[in-house]
Amino acid sequence: MFRASLPLLAALGAVGVGSVAPAPARPAPVWHNPSWLNADHALTLGELRGRVVLLNFWVFTCYNCTNTVPSLVDFDRRYRDRGLTLIGIHTPEFPPYAGEHDRGNLQRALEQYHIRYPNAQDNDRRTWDLYGIRFWPSFVLIDKRGNIRYEGAGEFHLNDRNYQLWQHRIEELLAE
Amino acid sequence: MRWSVLAAAVALAGSACRQGTGPAPLLHVVSEHSAGITTLTLVAAPGIRINARVKPALELPDGTVLRFDSPHQTPDSSYFTRPPTSSMAGAHRRAEGTLRASVCAADELVCRSVVLQL
Repeated sequence: MFRASLPLLAALGAVGVGSVAPAPARPAPVWHNPSWLNADHALTLGELRGRVVLLNFWVFTCYNCTNTVPSLVDFDRRYRDRGLTLIGIHTPEFPPYAGEHDRGNLQRALEQYHIRYPNAQDNDRRTWDLYGIRFWPSFVLIDKRGNIRYEGAGEFHLNDRNYQLWQHRIEELLAE
Repeated sequence: MRWSVLAAAVALAGSACRQGTGPAPLLHVVSEHSAGITTLTLVAAPGIRINARVKPALELPDGTVLRFDSPHQTPDSSYFTRPPTSSMAGAHRRAEGTLRASVCAADELVCRSVVLQL
């Protein structure tokens, strides 16, 4: 089984993996992850109404994911007080024997990469599947009304083209 | 003695660079036997990098999990620079089980899982 589907690859190919694709607004699915880090309770989509939410689907063993973390930390630093909530959805690639499911390993990764925004463990891939994600890292940008507005996948770096695209989208939704 | 070349029915399909050439395997496993040990080598297609941060695994039918590894990695330990290997006792003409690996095409910016039934 090859987890990257061909239609999605083709779709991403149209905009380039790593870029930002506008998505028709649709309600963001409600996640139910019970295990969170960098949060004092399990965050719900409902309580985030009125804030812009950027979901980052990642796993700490993914090079492309960790390369993108400095940009996400920067977004969190710049925009948290202006209404952005950044959430990591930590979705393992491998079965538990690889250590990606372990909360302690994730905690150490958060510290290693200076991640202070909330992270949910998605060990059963329920949220990954709920959002139809196929690649690490992937991103979903949700507006203040709880609608998905932009989706994309692929590594980006501080101030590169895709960083600027995401930044533009975040600022657009914050201004609404 | 090299016994068999297994596997790999997975292709980077949909990629424009593959059009007209037929599907090319992403990964394949080479099995060799010597001195009572079978060595399995996981070989990636050109342009495909195997993630070294999460070691490829072969889950055998009896529940044993063999991990592939190699000391030859990129300086940041992200990818193998030479094919990783695993070994099992005895002479096996071919390995059976579920092979898992995390791979990245050199021209992409994402990680993806490959799961193969050998």
